[in-house]
Amino acid sequence: MNPSVFIDDDGDILVNLRHVNYTLYHSENEQLFPSRWGPLSYLHPEKDQHLRTENYVCRLNPNLEMTDYAKVEMLELHTPIWEFVGLEDARMYQWEGEYYLVGVRRDTTAHGEGRMEYSKIEIDKANWTVKEVQRTRIPAPGEDNSYCEKNWYGILDAPFHFIKWTSPTELVLADPNEPKVEQVFVKQAPTPPSDQRGGSQVVKWGNMYIAITHEVNLFKNYLNQKDGIYRHRLVLWDNELNLIGYSNTFSFLDARIEFAVGAAIQGEDLLISFGFQDNAAFVLRTPKLVVEDLIMEALNYAN
Amino acid sequence: MQIEELVVELSKDPFNPELNFACAQEYDRLGQTASAVSFYLRTAEYGYETHRKLAYQSLLRTSICFENQNDRKYTVSNCILQAVELCPNEVEGYFLMSRFHERNGEWQEAYTWSGIGLDLVDGMEDRSYSNPFLDYEGDYSLMFERAVCGWWVGRVEEAKDLFHTMLLMNIKDNYRSAIVDNLKRIDPNAGL
Repeated sequence: MNPSVFIDDDGDILVNLRHVNYTLYHSENEQLFPSRWGPLSYLHPEKDQHLRTENYVCRLNPNLEMTDYAKVEMLELHTPIWEFVGLEDARMYQWEGEYYLVGVRRDTTAHGEGRMEYSKIEIDKANWTVKEVQRTRIPAPGEDNSYCEKNWYGILDAPFHFIKWTSPTELVLADPNEPKVEQVFVKQAPTPPSDQRGGSQVVKWGNMYIAITHEVNLFKNYLNQKDGIYRHRLVLWDNELNLIGYSNTFSFLDARIEFAVGAAIQGEDLLISFGFQDNAAFVLRTPKLVVEDLIMEALNYAN
Repeated sequence: MQIEELVVELSKDPFNPELNFACAQEYDRLGQTASAVSFYLRTAEYGYETHRKLAYQSLLRTSICFENQNDRKYTVSNCILQAVELCPNEVEGYFLMSRFHERNGEWQEAYTWSGIGLDLVDGMEDRSYSNPFLDYEGDYSLMFERAVCGWWVGRVEEAKDLFHTMLLMNIKDNYRSAIVDNLKRIDPNAGL
């Protein structure tokens, strides 16, 4: 699920693929066939309430066919002490020659506090193995007293810089080697109709930056059972990271739960990777013309 | 078609029950049960009015996917119950519910569900109707469950009779060997 596509300095198309021990059960339409726990349930094994995540790094050929994959051998730095175990929804980066998976980890406290973490990884392309070699937990800027930080999305050509909040745009710089973070700026911006959360990596497109963000409508039905709908937008910044546009909402396959955490430029195309109902993973090749249509829509819609 | 082609087709008509079912079947064939579940559920939700039998099969296949994942008993049984409620005159759901209880050692439940299924089969024109996609090989699938669970609830003579009857039928080898093994234990004088 939730694949993060990335093209590295060698030109290899890599994907970090999140593997989970649960199956998301989501009944759509008129929801005539819900699970015993409602229309939206995370079906972990009934004797193991943990929602466990592992990560696999894959290599795709130019036709987007998987040629190699390896489970990321993670460092054993602590015993997980919360129900959500592992590095979740990691985006992939290569900064200053080093590969990083950057996602949220919530298993280090008994109440599930979430913080973004760098997992520095080494990829042995000859033997196709992947191992974590260093881990850095990133504090929240300021008081570091928030409950959960997640979905920060990094800027591919600005090492260690992440958009922490879309509108107003909050940019942070997180040290990959020490638990240090600083707020670079907060810039006022047009306000989308709904909070925009990360998101794919931020990609340079011409003289602009673009990313795919998501918004979520979480609600409860009349039986007080949780449900949700995720939708995406293309968000656009100028060269100075002033947010200048956002498209209308869209989905990929019209499922109510989809989640894009990867984007990369291959030739003239934009590759977008997304998860489908937490149960399947896709990479979508998006032609330049489609991207530029979305950009025009984003400029018009925001204004 | 391979899954990539199927998903491209689906992207053009994402609520089409037949396309969702085709994607589900292909993921199922590949052993990707979580992905299969998503598309089977969409088949059921978007097809229950126009493609009732497909919705029924999807719910039952969902139950099999969850059973193969192990340790999701409540979900397995829930899917089967939904399917039976959707198409109460179809027989596969009764078989799968009986087998589910039998595999969990819930003998009376399994015995009861197989009995309901066999009553339904008695009213069918073709008792040999089978649906291997849902693991239902014909009426003897239900008879087997009835016999196994009958023994566990104290109906040993019924169990023996059913096992011997099945040996005279055209049944699959795995059933035949299981029946012979059972009879060697419960009817050692039968000369098997």
